Amino acid sequence: MMSEAPIFHSKYSYHHDGKAQQLDIHEILVKRSRLGIFLSYSMVVVFLGTNVYFVTTKVFCILILTFFEVNIRSIWSILVCFLLAKFLHYNPVKKERVVIMPAFGVQLETHYWSGRIVRLFVPISKILSSMLNECVTPVTCYWSLALLLRDEGELMLVFQLIRSVQKLQPPLKMLVPVWKALRAAINCEETSIT
Amino acid sequence: MDQQRKHSILMVSDFFYPNFGGVESHIYYLSQCLLKLGHKTEPDLNAFAFKIGLVVVMTHSYGKRTGVRYVTNGLKVYYVPWRAFLMQNTLPTFYLTLPIIRTILIRERISIVHGHQAFSTLCHEALMHARTMGYKVVFTDHSLYGFADVGSIHMNKVLQFTLADISQAICVSHTSKENTVLRSGITPNRVFVVPNAVDTAMFTPSTCRLSCDEIVIVVISRLVYRKGADLLVEVIPEVCHLFSNKFHVKLCLLIASSVKVRFIVGGDGPKRVRLEEMREKHSLQDRVEMLGAVPHARVRSVLISGHIFLNSSLTEAFCIAILEAASCGLLTVLPDDMIVLSEPDPGDMVHAIRKAIVMLPSIDPYAMHQRMKKLYSWHDVAKRTEIVYDRALQSSDENLLRRLPRYLKCGSWAGKMFCLVMIVNFLLWCLLDSWQPVESIEEVPDLVFIRNENEDVVHDSI
Repeated sequence: MMSEAPIFHSKYSYHHDGKAQQLDIHEILVKRSRLGIFLSYSMVVVFLGTNVYFVTTKVFCILILTFFEVNIRSIWSILVCFLLAKFLHYNPVKKERVVIMPAFGVQLETHYWSGRIVRLFVPISKILSSMLNECVTPVTCYWSLALLLRDEGELMLVFQLIRSVQKLQPPLKMLVPVWKALRAAINCEETSIT
Repeated sequence: MDQQRKHSILMVSDFFYPNFGGVESHIYYLSQCLLKLGHKTEPDLNAFAFKIGLVVVMTHSYGKRTGVRYVTNGLKVYYVPWRAFLMQNTLPTFYLTLPIIRTILIRERISIVHGHQAFSTLCHEALMHARTMGYKVVFTDHSLYGFADVGSIHMNKVLQFTLADISQAICVSHTSKENTVLRSGITPNRVFVVPNAVDTAMFTPSTCRLSCDEIVIVVISRLVYRKGADLLVEVIPEVCHLFSNKFHVKLCLLIASSVKVRFIVGGDGPKRVRLEEMREKHSLQDRVEMLGAVPHARVRSVLISGHIFLNSSLTEAFCIAILEAASCGLLTVLPDDMIVLSEPDPGDMVHAIRKAIVMLPSIDPYAMHQRMKKLYSWHDVAKRTEIVYDRALQSSDENLLRRLPRYLKCGSWAGKMFCLVMIVNFLLWCLLDSWQPVESIEEVPDLVFIRNENEDVVHDSI
């Protein structure tokens, strides 16, 4: 049973379960996009078809100039189709889960639609703080939640959705409860040490 | 009293911290003073219908400094990762900056977009996109430009395009207003004159008065043609020769001069080589000290080591350097008893320096500093800028069809091209609106900065 009302925004939904066996579980689910699946598979077909066409054309080419021309065209077509396939590639992430185990650590889980689950455990002693970052790109701004770790030069992103191919960006109102829960867990640990 | 509506201002320019200069410090100080005005808690019966709630600055990235930064008093700065390509200007892309500008305007709930400096491409693009999206825009021009050379003609046409549909414009002096009105064809009654100011708290005179046995003349400027570096090359040897610790009795002038004059030259630029050559040629190594580029934080310490500040600029829209020098108690340019003006001619400049040396014993640095404090204050500039914002907000909202005829007046060919640019911009905006609706862009929550004993703690006030 979920302890708080879920939050819905666009293709994301946030669920929080704070009573399951003293664990604090936060989940962000991503809706599947049927158009995305169709476009990505059709782009893969086009990509393969273009490759086969130009490879067979090259085989029958005699003149070096034509060979060179076909090469340039084929490289360009392959590149464009590759980029389109990559861009429209169906994002396989089903949900991202943050499991906060008080005084023990934080487990970050990524569940894919294929059934694969990737888990990463971070001990609480390694976490200095959690932060909400405003990230600016040449075309947009978005929020991301990250952990500052001891003896590490890089921040660890809590939600891999930010780094995924399709750049899914959960809204701030879903990141804030997770951030507050992480801060509470880290502060509890600090006061218990001191 | 009616509740005041809070408005947010977006300052846009290619020139901001960590770059140092007149425009950069203008944007910074103005933003700080506007933030302070917005946080006033006592009711003001003469207050306008709106109040400044938030000031955000947008500029391009400087090296690794990219993303969102908060500077003093919570002033938020967006360092958008567009690379500078020429003299700190972003690459002009016309439409590619539309998505990021739209995102920032929506998420920060901006009411007015205030662009700075005609030379800034980011400013022109931001004002164009803001007008397309229906925001009120204000533009401040900081420099004077010519009319004859190719660069100026191009710049003036771009300015004409931007100011064709502006809500209000600000110039830093009456001369600058004349120059802007002539260059852009904007009606003069839409241009306000709000002078710059100086941070008198930072530029204070020295506690101990320097002795007048040896007069030190300070020059701090970029050593380029426009700042009169060539004039300095002629003036410095002549002045050093005239005041070289020898007893002169000039019957025509009846001046007995036994003072020695020394120069301190701060700044760097292409003309530095000429000044170094002049030093070598006239053997003035002990009388002319070249400091090189002086960081802004050290400018005051250089100024207080001198008696007179010499500015040899050929053109200046508004010279903040002179205000800074006057605030430090140096004899410079300003009301008749604080200034000695001359023509941009070496002979005249030498005569003016001689006159300044004669006036020197009667100058009281602290009295000058107090006068500067009253005459030039950033709080005053902020209040006057608020009046301009108020006027801009009162202007009516107009759709594209009513705005297009203003661009047609810019020229027979240019006018039509400008109209086309605005129509394409409008169509791209509609496309972007349908792809990424306004509701999908989250607004930034209000952040309240609370200063704790040992650390600053940020609390979400919503």
